[in-house]
Formats: sequence, structure tokens, C-alpha cells
Amino acid sequence: MIVAEQKPVDEIERMIVPYERVLILGCGTCVTVCNAGGEREVSFLREALQLAAAKNAGESHVFSEYTVKRQCDEEFLDPIAPQVETVDAVLSLGCGVGVQSLAARFPDTVVLPGVNTSFLGMAQEVGIWDERCTACGDCRLDETAGICPITRCTKGILNGPCAGTKNGKCEVNKEMDCAWILIYRRLERLGQLDKMRRYYPPRNYRPIPRPRRIRAFAKLAPVGGNHG
Amino acid sequence: MLTSETQKTSRLPGKREPAFDHSLMPPCQAACPLHMEIREYIDLIAQGKVMEALRVIREGNPFPSICAYVCAHPCEENCRRAQVDNPLAIRALKRFAVEFGGDRMIQLDAETRYDQRVAIVGSGPAGLACAYYLRKLGYPVTIFEAYLELGGMLRVGIPQYRLPRDVLDTEVERLIRMGVEIRTNTRVVSLDLLFDMGYKAIFLTIGAHQSLRLGIEGEDSPGVVDGATFLREVNLGLRPVIGERVAVVGGGNVAIDAARTAVRLGAKHVSILYRRSRGEMPADPQEIAQAAAEGVTFSYLMAPTRLKRTDGRLEVTCVRMELGEPDASGRRKPVPIAGSEFTEEFDTVITAIGQAPHVPGDFRLRIGRGSTIHVDPVTLTTTRAGVFAGGDAVTGPATVTEALATGRKAAFRIHDFLQHRYPLPERDVKEMLTGALNSKTAEAIRKAQRLEPVTLPPEVRAGDFRPVEMVYDWQTAVTEARRCLRCGMGAEILFQDKCATCLTCLRVCPYHVPYLDEAGTIQIPADQCQACGICVAECPAEAIVLRKPYDRRHIDEELNHILRSTAERHIPPVLIGFCCQYGLYGTGALAGFWRRARAGVWIVPVLCVAKVEAAHILRAFEMGAEGVFVAGCGEMCAREKTAFWVEQQIQKVRRVLTQLGLGAERLQSFLPVSGDQDPTAALDRFTEHIAALRLQEVFHREVKHDRCRAEASG
Repeated sequence: MIVAEQKPVDEIERMIVPYERVLILGCGTCVTVCNAGGEREVSFLREALQLAAAKNAGESHVFSEYTVKRQCDEEFLDPIAPQVETVDAVLSLGCGVGVQSLAARFPDTVVLPGVNTSFLGMAQEVGIWDERCTACGDCRLDETAGICPITRCTKGILNGPCAGTKNGKCEVNKEMDCAWILIYRRLERLGQLDKMRRYYPPRNYRPIPRPRRIRAFAKLAPVGGNHG
Repeated sequence: MLTSETQKTSRLPGKREPAFDHSLMPPCQAACPLHMEIREYIDLIAQGKVMEALRVIREGNPFPSICAYVCAHPCEENCRRAQVDNPLAIRALKRFAVEFGGDRMIQLDAETRYDQRVAIVGSGPAGLACAYYLRKLGYPVTIFEAYLELGGMLRVGIPQYRLPRDVLDTEVERLIRMGVEIRTNTRVVSLDLLFDMGYKAIFLTIGAHQSLRLGIEGEDSPGVVDGATFLREVNLGLRPVIGERVAVVGGGNVAIDAARTAVRLGAKHVSILYRRSRGEMPADPQEIAQAAAEGVTFSYLMAPTRLKRTDGRLEVTCVRMELGEPDASGRRKPVPIAGSEFTEEFDTVITAIGQAPHVPGDFRLRIGRGSTIHVDPVTLTTTRAGVFAGGDAVTGPATVTEALATGRKAAFRIHDFLQHRYPLPERDVKEMLTGALNSKTAEAIRKAQRLEPVTLPPEVRAGDFRPVEMVYDWQTAVTEARRCLRCGMGAEILFQDKCATCLTCLRVCPYHVPYLDEAGTIQIPADQCQACGICVAECPAEAIVLRKPYDRRHIDEELNHILRSTAERHIPPVLIGFCCQYGLYGTGALAGFWRRARAGVWIVPVLCVAKVEAAHILRAFEMGAEGVFVAGCGEMCAREKTAFWVEQQIQKVRRVLTQLGLGAERLQSFLPVSGDQDPTAALDRFTEHIAALRLQEVFHREVKHDRCRAEASG
């Protein structure tokens, strides 16, 4: 799941200064789950911005709020089109994808990001989220016992652990588990320690052409008939 | 999918959820013959709102002060708190509300809307309740009573130490003020006569005053008296001479009443003979314990077989019993042990093995099992047109509350009959809450032992007919009421399409109630939820609401009220405080603070601080408050973890306050961690600090203003 974090209110406040009518738009999927941009955060941010406006007597804003199920698909955005037309800016609490999807759908409206899209991760416990995947596009989790060294090792090394591990923790942060120690323990448990002895060649860091695109369907050449 | 609920562009604060009530009927209410809104009035008592509690009680009960003394409280037997520790003392709490809520001051009146007169034969609880509701409906009502005073079994059956007569007199007096015509000392012998007198309908509640006979030799000897007659004589002011050694035969409430009355008449040795064992005894366990404390002895598995009067004393031959197979009533049948007879001497023997109605033959009614009047269970009609019957005369000896419920039902059925229509269906009945608490949930609930009302010491009370039980004091009543689990008004996912299945509710619930079903949907079982409101305040999708959403919605309403009031006065609020309504604030240290709220200090009463959301606090600041505080019961809260979660909301707002340069110290929480902590002093300091901030600001503005003026003129 995509994990994001709401921007500090003062930053958002500065961002919206030029715009009078602002629609705060939440997203009901990933950012709801990570408490960054769901309906509750939308109302909370609205109150916070209204408070900020009240304290800086010079500013006047008209806020409206709405939460769609998912900002990253245009079909969800169609019903709010009339509303978007009436505002000067849309403050999106969706992830970066949502912001861009809004920008694409509403080319004549300013779209502002209200959250910092941070990583792909999971909830550790309520209120704590950890990064788990870098979306490198070349998954090796089969060899590392389901623990990603690219993400969870500070150095991202493929043949660990390094000499910086101490008591199972990382030298960078004494609180943080060493990913390679975790991998070792789990391989040991699975009886696959031989995978530890193997040498993994460095990843191919040749620039991957970005942006990436995935096609689920084969490109079919139109053949005669009605398609002609 | 978008729904109209998600659309909040023109959001009005306070209109967040549509008005609805999805709460389920709790087991206490379901068990009550009158279906009283027990959960609601207990909650009001927990907030110290006794007058409101009494209003709720009076809505469901015509004579709450009587029930407060003598109700057999089936609600307590069904209270789910018993699965945690012990059930709530519901009857004692009702008595507290009745006495502290000012029930004696309440006056009732009724106007006559119909001209069809209704006769009520018998003035027991069923008759009185029927008269009450018929008067409310607008019928002229006449009560015929064979004895000199009204009340039926309440007057002649229940001893005064259980129901003081002034309580009964107050209720009867109120009924007379409502315009009920009373004919005491008038025994009705013929129903035809009543119809001839012009009554259009008759309600028969003649009770069950006829004691059942033991059917043994010597039963008619002098010195043998039946329980109903004995109690009637004592209750009507006679003082029968009963001697020193008294035996009471039977194991029901009448037997206990007779025994305790005998003690109060001066008998030295009172013994109850019961043919089964303690476990099968139908009397109220509390009554049994009180009787034992007063010196009544109990002889179980024993039955008299012969009574013989010799030399002014009664020789009672008893036989020992053993328990055999269960009989038709489900209890094990006592079987005499051959050759175990023995003889004991008593001065008086009181037989209290059951009572039956005595219906005059001239009534010409069909009589059913146990000499009771045969009625249709739905319409309460007898075999004669226009004649309805209810109470003990129909059911056999039962409880006061059941009689009141029948009386109420009869009033509405008589109304239907006189208006020539079919019985209207029952008012919309709520879905009933069933099921036991999961062991995991029951363990997580804070334990709090039941607080019994104080009773007079046995040596004092056994001497006269003073009421045995004292009323709760304020503190004890509130503490006891807070034990209520609020069954059936917990959280529900109202907007399933909004739920992102983030599992926040599952993770924050202190009682392990929400769970993920096989389909991957979050379920919050209504029979487990404790209605603490934490998940409602934490749900990031705002998909969860309480089944009775009032306590959350009213925070918005209170804030709106403050906004309007301060706008009218052109003085912005200085301090807004979210104060819990329960416990501490109703009675304890903080009550003082909240009663002498100062100018500019506005209190938002909340039903537990767990329902305060970060957005509410921000709104308080937005309304112009210099400071905001949240004051709750802290660790003394009846629920788990409420202080922890409101502290999270506070931290969240503090972060925003810092980011906006307003200063985090403007928001404070007062959540004491132990009972001896008194947050009043800290609250006072905070109030002064915030007031100083406001003064400072005003001062700065004035100085600036003066300087501008000076510059302009200079």
C-alpha cells in the first residue's frame, strides 16, 4: 500500500495563499488507511486551515471538502467535475498519483499536493507504518526469504550482512533491525541457508527507461471485419 | 461508488449524520414486563441527571415509586454485567432517581375526552395502572374496592417495611387528582349491576387473595392462619397475638413476608418449613438473606403432615423429604422419607403455600386452571362482552410489575374496544440484543463490584415496620450507574462503502470486538461492543457511528450554541472546555469547577472524552477561544483506554497549533490518574494563564491603537 504523510499545515497554508476557493479532496483508498488523506483528515485539515485563516485576519478562503473512493482513476473524478469548476484550486490529499490524475482530468484547474507520498509499506501497529518495497521492478524476494534487502538494508546490498551489523541491529540506527540478519534467521528456519552462501551479482543499475508502463493485453493488429 | 452521504461540500456542522437510532433493545428492557428504558435512565443517573432520569422512568411506568421499592427486578437477572462481575442494582438506582428526582412533586392531570365510563373492579397494581392509562386516554373511570383502602395486594399483602404506606398513598392521591372516581368498601357481586349502572366496559382485577389449603388434618384448628389473611390483618392495622414460636409453611415471597412480619410482631422463634431445598425456593434470594439476618430459621426438606391443638399449643407433626424426579414445574419433586416423622410445638402456624383468585359465581365467567379467569392473551377479553380481566386473577400470584404491565395493556385494549376497532399493533419494537459476551471481551471490561444500598442493621429493623433499605447517596448511585455496559448502543459501520478496511477499529478497540470476516469485511458485533466511542473517533474514513449517535452529535450542537451565544454578546469565548459528564463531574471534585464557570469560560459537556475529536478542538480555537482544555475521568473512567486515545487527539492538535505559531500550551488536558488527584487547582491556574493571554492581547491592541491615534494627530 502507498504510505503518505500530511504536509505541515503552515506549508499548506502558504501554498493556498493565492487561491480563494479551495476544494480539499480526500482519497478513500491508500491514504485513508495510512491516516493521511481520508475523510477524517480532510475535515481535520479544513478546520486547521480555517483556524489559520482566522488567525491571519487578512486572508479569506472558502473551503469545501469531498472524498472520492480513489483519485487515481478518472472515472471516480467525473462526478466532481461541476464542483471543481467552481473552485480556484484543488488541494489533493491523494498520493502523487492522485494529484497527477487530477491534474490530467482537470487541465484548467490548479491542483496542489496536501501530502508527501512517502513509500510502499505496511502498518506495524496502529499509527506506525514501515517501508517494505522500493518498486525496483526486479523482485528477488525468493532468494532472500521474503525480506527485501534493497528496501530494508540501509545500504541496499545484495550480499550481506556488512560489517556494520551489531547484535542484529544496523549501525545506522541502533533501533533498526539489520535486514541481512533477519534474512539469515529466516533462511535458517526454512532450512535454506545454502542461499546465503551463494554470490549474487550486482543488480543492473543501467538506467531503466522511465516512466515505466505495463501492458496486460497484447497489442493486437486490427484484422478486417468491423474493425477495418 | 459515490453515495450522497460522502458528499459534504455544503457541510453544516451538527448535521453530520442523519437522525436515526439503530440501537438494539438491551436484555434488561426486554425482561421488564413494562419494557422500561432502563439503559437510558441508568445513563442519565451516571451523569447525575436525576430529574431527566425520572422523566424517562415515568414515561414507561405509571407508579415508579412503588416499583422502586417492590419490583422483583427481572432486569437484574438478565443484566449482562453478571458475565463480568455482578449485575447492576437497577431497582435501587430507580429508587435513587425517584427520591432525588423529586417524584413527590410531580402532579398529573387528565382531561375527559370520551363519555363511555369504565369500571375497574379491584384496586391492586393492575387496576391502578389501568385507571391511570384510561384517565390519560380520556375516559371517566371508577375503581371499586372491597376493602377500606386502595392498593390491593400493595396495601394488604406487602408488608410496610418493604413498601412504606406514604409512598402508596402519594400515588393513589395523584390518581384521585387525575379524576379517578373511587368507591372503597364496595364489594362487587354482580357484573350485570355494573352494566346497568351505565359502565360500558369492566376491567376485573380482583387479585388472588384465597390461600391454598395444605389439605392435612387439623388445618382448621385455632392458631393456624393462612399467609394472605395474616398479612392482611397486620397491614390493615391489627396486631394478632401469635405467641413466641411461629412456623411458616412455604417457600415463596409470601412465606418470607409472613415470617419477617411475625418477627416484627415480637415472635422469638420463627421457622420457615419448606419441602424442597434452598436452591428450589422461589423467594427472592435477597429477601431470604435479609430474613435470615433478622433471625428467621429455615428448615428445608420438611413438610407438616398433621396439626393438633393441645393445651393452647399446636403440635405439628412433620416429615422429612428427599428430592426425586423433576415434576411439571421443572423442579425436583419432594418425596417423603418413610418413618422420618417427628413432632414440634408452635404457638402459631402460618400457611403460605400459594394463593388463588376467588371469582364470585355470579360473574358468570369461564374459569381456567387454578381458579383463574380465562382471558384471550392478546385482547384480555373474557367470555363476556365488555368484560376484561388481568393481574393475579388471571395469572395467579405474580409480580407487581407484571400486574402494572397488564393494567396498561388492558387500558389500551379497552380503548380499542370502546372505539370499535381492532387492536392496534404494538409500537415499533426494536430488535432485541441477544448473545453472551465473548470471554475475551468480558475479561477486558474493567471490574467494578456491585454497590448495594445500605440496609438498617437487623437488630434495629426487626423491632418495627420501618423500611429496611436506605436510598443510595449521590456518589454511590453515580458510581453504580456507571457500571452499565450500555448493551446494544455500540458502534456500527454505517457507511460500508466508505470503509477502507484499514483495520484501525480492530486495532484500537480495547475490548477486541471488531473482527475481519471471511469475506474480508470488518464486522462490529452489536452484542459485544461497549460503546466507548474510540473507534468512532479514530476511523480515518468516518465510516463508524454509534447506534445512538446523540452523544457524539451533541458536541457539534454545543459548539454551535457557544458560537451563537458569543456572537450575540460580541465577546469571543476565552476558554472552551470539553468536560466529561460522568462520574467526577457529576459528583466529585470537578463539579465545583463546572458549576462556577466564569465569564468567558464555556463548557462543552461530553459523554466521555473519548468522543472528542481533533476537529472539535480545532473548531473551538477557530471560534476565537484563547485556550481549550479537555477534562475527563482519566484512569477512573469506567471504560478502558479512553484517556490514552483522547491524549492522541490532543497531541495531533498541539502539532498543528505549533505549526501555526499559536503555541501548544493553549491546549491542556486534565485526566487524573488516581482518585485522590484533584485537577481543580491546575484547572484554575490554566484558566488564569489563558485569561492573562487574552488581557495581554487586548492591551497590545489598545496601545497600538493609542499610538496610531497619537501619530495621526501629531
